[in-house]
Amino acid sequence: MMVGSKVDYDISNLDIPKDDKEDFDYQKSFNATLTIIVRDKDGKVIKRYKQKSHSPTANFIGLMLPLTWYNETGKSWTFTNNINHTNSYKPSITGNGSGIIYPNDDFNIGVNINGILVGSGSQSNSYNAYNLNAPISNGSGTGQLIYSSINEPTSITINGNQAYFIISQAYANQSGGTVNITEIGIFLNLYLGNSTANITLVYTVLVWYDVLSSPISLANGQSIIIYYTFSVNA
Amino acid sequence: MLVSEQIPKEDLDYILEPFKEDKEEEDNKQIISEKIIAVVKDANGKIIDKREQKMRSLTEYYLALMSIAILGTYSITTSNTATGILTNVLGLPSKQSVNGGTSIITFDTSIQLGSGTQSFLPTLNSLNAPIGNGSGTGQLYNYAQEVSYGNTNISQILIVSNNSGNTITVSEIGLMGTIYLMYINNSNNFTVQPYNFLLSYDTFSSPISIPNGGSASFLIVITFSG
Repeated sequence: MMVGSKVDYDISNLDIPKDDKEDFDYQKSFNATLTIIVRDKDGKVIKRYKQKSHSPTANFIGLMLPLTWYNETGKSWTFTNNINHTNSYKPSITGNGSGIIYPNDDFNIGVNINGILVGSGSQSNSYNAYNLNAPISNGSGTGQLIYSSINEPTSITINGNQAYFIISQAYANQSGGTVNITEIGIFLNLYLGNSTANITLVYTVLVWYDVLSSPISLANGQSIIIYYTFSVNA
Repeated sequence: MLVSEQIPKEDLDYILEPFKEDKEEEDNKQIISEKIIAVVKDANGKIIDKREQKMRSLTEYYLALMSIAILGTYSITTSNTATGILTNVLGLPSKQSVNGGTSIITFDTSIQLGSGTQSFLPTLNSLNAPIGNGSGTGQLYNYAQEVSYGNTNISQILIVSNNSGNTITVSEIGLMGTIYLMYINNSNNFTVQPYNFLLSYDTFSSPISIPNGGSASFLIVITFSG
């Protein structure tokens, strides 16, 4: 736990009374859920599966750190792409600035979601993961799945005190055999730079990773849709 | 059936069902992973109040900020325009006009304290009665904030001192966010355009009193785990 220069005690280690009732009723404000729907060749639902999603990667944490962390520590963040190449990043709002490329009317390079990729392996240290352990490639050959385009949300849905967005992607098995899915990751195409278009090409980074608590076996002719739901609740 | 523009209703109903089958749900009830901690000291440095409570109320703006780390800044459905979440929720331009070069974004966060209360809505965008930064009447002096991180969480801390001459009561706390959109403008000047949002809002179960000469620390922990 960080102890700042102006903090003369670690407030996380103090004996702070807790409200037991609140513990019992506790609902997290942030939630991430992974839902999988399996359909047969006629589109009939034959299995539904849902689990809590637990695993942001180091790349995700680096993208969520505010400027204050970079300025206070003087440190950079190291992003690791899916082929294990690394790039250093330190955002700034001075000089020519430094940040994530944003759409404009001159120089564009798409910082966008690459896809939800599926694999047949697993790895225990999701924080340090930079790729799937055994990615399933796109195609109709043995052990392959046909990837459809990812569905991108256009806004955030609000339902009472809950707000959420959902991303999804579909996959069809036309390989001739059964394909097992045990791991899933969300990949982002990431490009960094400054306002003069001095660009750092990070390429594709894994930002979220989950190992399924129960593997999904997809028989030939079957298809699945994977949904990631990110929500906040009051 | 493969991907369609709309999520099938039968899928959406299942996606939004409350969790029933996840065996880890029980464990989650016993872990305070998103929380607010407050510690108050008197003028002599003696701790006079300590609080820990669950953080309940992230806003839609936090979710929209987080979407940058998942969806990026460019939509995959339109050419060189921002994602719908960035334009529809955060009000960022779909495309920034630049004078050569490119546009870039980054963001910062800060804890803000207040003396009011209000009901939470995911669209809430400010505290009810923010306490100013300073040593005047009704103000608290804010020291520079600090941020730390773990494998699944990010924490932010604010230290304040009360030099106002009177007791200050804190009843609400928010995490404010600013997205900075940067570019070279038509006059060839580097420009930083800020966009401000309320990322979280919570009220204390009972107000926190900081005596004159006293100080207080406020810690917000956000965990990115389902």
